[in-house]
Amino acid sequence: MQILARFSRPVGDAPEALLQGLPRLPWLWAGAGAVALLGAMVLGVLVGPVHIGLGTVVQVLVAPIPLFGGMSSADPGQASILWSLRIPRVVLGAVVGAMLATAGAAYQGAFRNPLADPYLLGAAAGANLGATLAIAFAPGTSVIGVNVVPLAGFIGAAAAVAGAYALGRTVTGLRNTTGLILAGVAIAAFFNAIQTYIQQSQTNSIRQVYSWILGRLVTAGWDGVLLVLPYVVVSVAVILLHRRLLDALSVGDEEVTSLGISARRVRLIVVIAATLGTAAVVAIAGTIAFVGIIVPHTVRLLVGRSYRVVIPLSLLFGATFLVLADTVARTLAAPAELPIGVITALVGAPFFIVVMRSTRAAAL
Amino acid sequence: MNDVVLRGVEIAYESEVVVSGLDLSVSSGEWLALIGPNGAGKTSILRAIARLVAYSGEIRIGTQAVADMSGRELARRVAMVMQEPHMPEGMSVSQYVLLGRSPHLAYFGKEGRGDQRVVADILERLALGRLAARRLDHLSGGERQRAAIARALAQQAPVLLVDEPTSSLDVGRQQEVLELIDGLRAEQGLTVIAAMHDLTLAGQYAHRLALLVAGKLVAVGSPAEVLTEPAIADHYGAQVRVLQLNGAGRAVIPIRGHAAAAVENQLP
Amino acid sequence: MRKHHIWQAATAVIAMALTACGPTSSATPSTSAAAQFPVTFTGPNGTSVTITKQPHHIVSLSPSATEMLFAVSAGSQVVAVDEQSNYPANAPMTKLSGFQPSIEAIAAYTPDLVIAADDTAGLVHGLGALSIPVLIEPAAKNMDESYKEIEQLGAATGHVADAASLERKMRSDLSAIVASIPKQAKQLKVYHELDDTYYSATSATFIGQVYALLSLKNIADGATAAAGDYPQLSAEYIVASSPDLIVLADTKCCHQTLTTVAARPGWSSIAAVKTGQVIGVDDDVASRWGPRVVDFLRVLAPHVKQLGGAA
Repeated sequence: MQILARFSRPVGDAPEALLQGLPRLPWLWAGAGAVALLGAMVLGVLVGPVHIGLGTVVQVLVAPIPLFGGMSSADPGQASILWSLRIPRVVLGAVVGAMLATAGAAYQGAFRNPLADPYLLGAAAGANLGATLAIAFAPGTSVIGVNVVPLAGFIGAAAAVAGAYALGRTVTGLRNTTGLILAGVAIAAFFNAIQTYIQQSQTNSIRQVYSWILGRLVTAGWDGVLLVLPYVVVSVAVILLHRRLLDALSVGDEEVTSLGISARRVRLIVVIAATLGTAAVVAIAGTIAFVGIIVPHTVRLLVGRSYRVVIPLSLLFGATFLVLADTVARTLAAPAELPIGVITALVGAPFFIVVMRSTRAAAL
Repeated sequence: MNDVVLRGVEIAYESEVVVSGLDLSVSSGEWLALIGPNGAGKTSILRAIARLVAYSGEIRIGTQAVADMSGRELARRVAMVMQEPHMPEGMSVSQYVLLGRSPHLAYFGKEGRGDQRVVADILERLALGRLAARRLDHLSGGERQRAAIARALAQQAPVLLVDEPTSSLDVGRQQEVLELIDGLRAEQGLTVIAAMHDLTLAGQYAHRLALLVAGKLVAVGSPAEVLTEPAIADHYGAQVRVLQLNGAGRAVIPIRGHAAAAVENQLP
Repeated sequence: MRKHHIWQAATAVIAMALTACGPTSSATPSTSAAAQFPVTFTGPNGTSVTITKQPHHIVSLSPSATEMLFAVSAGSQVVAVDEQSNYPANAPMTKLSGFQPSIEAIAAYTPDLVIAADDTAGLVHGLGALSIPVLIEPAAKNMDESYKEIEQLGAATGHVADAASLERKMRSDLSAIVASIPKQAKQLKVYHELDDTYYSATSATFIGQVYALLSLKNIADGATAAAGDYPQLSAEYIVASSPDLIVLADTKCCHQTLTTVAARPGWSSIAAVKTGQVIGVDDDVASRWGPRVVDFLRVLAPHVKQLGGAA
């Protein structure tokens, strides 16, 4: 046999074709992503409802550096606006965008479902219910100096996903994730119903609930950044470490088990990490739609489907996308704000249809 | 030692018993074919050995019980080629085969040069070298089957479980795949347990056959001992001629049954 | 938007009728309240509402209307008010909702007149089927519209004279307050806060008109028309505008105070925060267009005086 004849060949180094077939982070795209993020952040710092000149921005930015500190002659009012309001908001936008896109990619990998994102298992519904309960029944209280509303949002999101997971596990076997997703949908519907009921019966809190759902990037500041950063760093790090395992998961739960990998364990860890990060972000920024779906899908279309590539690039492009969306949100109707969720959904929904059309035959 | 021993194995899916009282042992370097009519429990036995399904009784590889091994440990001892492996869209052949290195990596580990070399070697041996960068969904049926075997071989496990290796392949591809498995078995001393539909191919490639009917082992032995015309008529309800080939080998040829012949005789 | 124009036109017509010859009444002018009926009002979309005799079972679904009814001495004719009508304290507050009105629940009070701020959830149509007249008194955009609503409610309840005297009293109180404020050397800037995510109100709103009365410059007017009458302002815009006066209409909903405002990042540089001119007001008083607007102005006036004197 022709094949048997090959057995006697000496073993060599990995051939070029093999290496070509392996997913590697395309440095060109990674570089482009980094440049885009940097550009978006620079733009975000330069543009705002209050005009601050480039010279002032540079002076304010270099002021903390000892050597340049003495040279700054920037207007303290403008410096305060930049340092206390604009820069933290840009940073928070980047952190939130990176988290949502990374979590979206992680969920898609964990559930092998292109439509999955943390909201699928009820994270948004849970966060909204938690926040609504806090607004309606414990307004203005704080726990260890932290406003109870984002805390309740965080707990609500985590509780919804945990509930969906527990419910999904009891109704579905090892082999598919559909039961889990259905459980998430049911939990989300249930939580939404309770939330709507409370909101309707406590009409004086409607406006606050509404503005919470639309997001609070407006008021967060450095406190917001510091509040979410630990969760986001841990969550993103854990997800990044699972890139290879998420790729492995794509052969299906049973086959991956035969490779010595516990699909359930991988899924559980990834879902916990992505949910905690998302819950933290939702608690500060509200539920921002579509970032977790459109960013990873765009990356897949451009660069390929391996999570070794999709996750790091989603992180970069998610951060870029949200910084840009937020810049639009605060400048388009300046000095009024537009809700950032409206911008992301307005761009996201049509984009999503295009993505579905172009991948209809393949991914779905 | 990499012999596989099953003692009093029972497998049930939700109270429905599909395999019961199974005692079977397969020695190192041996090819055992599991044969039997549809629903006999062939695939369930393979899945039990790979611990993909719950079972009672004992399954050992060498001296160690499968139940006591960690998932990774088991995957280093036993590799399985599914009947219809799931081939993720957009994944390259080399990436797919490299997944077979998973049991040799730590949880957060990353494949190294050594793993790549193992995979390159296997791809070369399976004539997949030039297809390494090709997407799985762009492969032909035979190429897909070879890729699935390549992934299992990358596990470098001494026990290879194969579920219906030749279904949906043309006769040339069937032969190619079985020759390949047999060559690897001979060269590396693999223990091969294969669920096989085609009795002629089973009768030629396997050293021993285990005939299962409704979850029970009814005969085990050499092709000559198991593949008899009365046994096949009894258990498969088929009319066949069994021919001797290459000494121990057997070919099973279906012939038209008496009922059909009787109808034909009445025709003018 | 269109609905508003129609309504404004309608109220203008009614106002002309009221000032020219009083309510459309079939009887000759009389001091007897009962003799002023039937009375007909033309509401939004040109539909008319006729109240045949003086109502004694009124249901009010609008907190502002409730305050007006009690101020024109029609309080004893009111049998039920909605869950938001928390003033005056003796108003018969119920579980009725003005946002999602339930026709059945309202009908259970067998009202002979229902007053609401909006025709939501088929209110007019549904109660019309039960021959219950509904008077819609929408959010006023300025003092004149508020006075008109008071006049209408007076006419609809048989308290024309009470309404007229209330209006006179409000007008004189307001002009006294405005007159007491010294001419500002430099126009003072005000930021009116509706909630702690910086929603505000422009001069196109009733509350905005109140600031105009005091000759204050409302920083929310910097927002484009596209942002609506209640825009959400950028924090950096508020900080850069450095208003002289901050009015917190979110003391109840969101527990905002001078302390919480001063703690917001970057806000310590705002003039009002530096001088402590951050005024907490009752959310309800600051969001209704009823007689208590006088109280609201009384709270503001000393601060404006103080600032004007300093300037």
